[in-house]
Amino acid sequence: MSRLLPICMFVVPFGIAFGIAAVEQGIGPYQATAMSAFVFTATAQFASLEFLHDPVAFASLGLVALALSGRHIIMGAALSKWLNHLPLGKRLATIMFLSDANFADTQTLLQRGETDLGPLMGGGVMLWITWVSSTALGAFGGDLLGDTDAYGFGVVMLCFFAATAFGMVRRATTMALPAAAAIAVSVATYPVLPTGWNIILAAVIGGLVSAFANVE
Amino acid sequence: MLNDGSFFIAVAVLAATAFATRLAGVVLMAWVPPGPRVERFLEGLAVSVIAALVASALVTADIKTVAAILVAIALMALTRSIIWAMLAGMVAAATYPLVMSL
Repeated sequence: MSRLLPICMFVVPFGIAFGIAAVEQGIGPYQATAMSAFVFTATAQFASLEFLHDPVAFASLGLVALALSGRHIIMGAALSKWLNHLPLGKRLATIMFLSDANFADTQTLLQRGETDLGPLMGGGVMLWITWVSSTALGAFGGDLLGDTDAYGFGVVMLCFFAATAFGMVRRATTMALPAAAAIAVSVATYPVLPTGWNIILAAVIGGLVSAFANVE
Repeated sequence: MLNDGSFFIAVAVLAATAFATRLAGVVLMAWVPPGPRVERFLEGLAVSVIAALVASALVTADIKTVAAILVAIALMALTRSIIWAMLAGMVAAATYPLVMSL
């Protein structure tokens, strides 16, 4: 979980940027903060801003949200072995705070044979608090903060994900082929599939490769 | 402009989608009988979704980001520490313009 502390730091400028963008779109600062609290999916929230003017195209909004949060279906399935042992209340509480960063962080622990999902929820709560409070910071104080693009959130987050995937493949070399397949599919389908769907397709294909190709 | 009613419905749509997708995979897998093949499928899913996330972002990334990620992977290979990999990637991204101007 200590690995998530630096990640949280880099969520801050991203949350601030969302708060500023939402207010620029005409959404009140309280409303923007509430949105982060209830949705807690950065990519889907940024994408939704384009739809937030009357009349709202609710169907398109729902589809975009589905595409960008659809990878949570995959992450939930991947965690099901551990999650489905928990009592219902704890299972719901844990899954509510699932996001890319705490999912990736937990993979390292689970691969080492740990079974406790406490760090998943703890990390998720940490990320949620950071996301909501930094949105509020941007929404209420955006004028004072100026340009936040320069903080380079995206790069650090991507480095974290790349290092995690690399570590997973090194610990379990049978995962090299599924990961390579997923990379190839996501890049090849990127120009033809709407954003988000290429990742979901790539993950499913990587899973299938793992299920059928790794015969010991 | 956006009236309060539309905003409320829009956030409800987003929140419901976010929660449903978080729940769907777990609920779905409760119905699938476990077995070695299913287990390998799920293992493959886990690493694939992370790898695809990075690869997909790299399609449109600038050279600075690509360089930072290569440095992070190299540090991960050397130190086996995600923290060092992240820090190195961050430093690489920050100093890239400087290094290139030498």
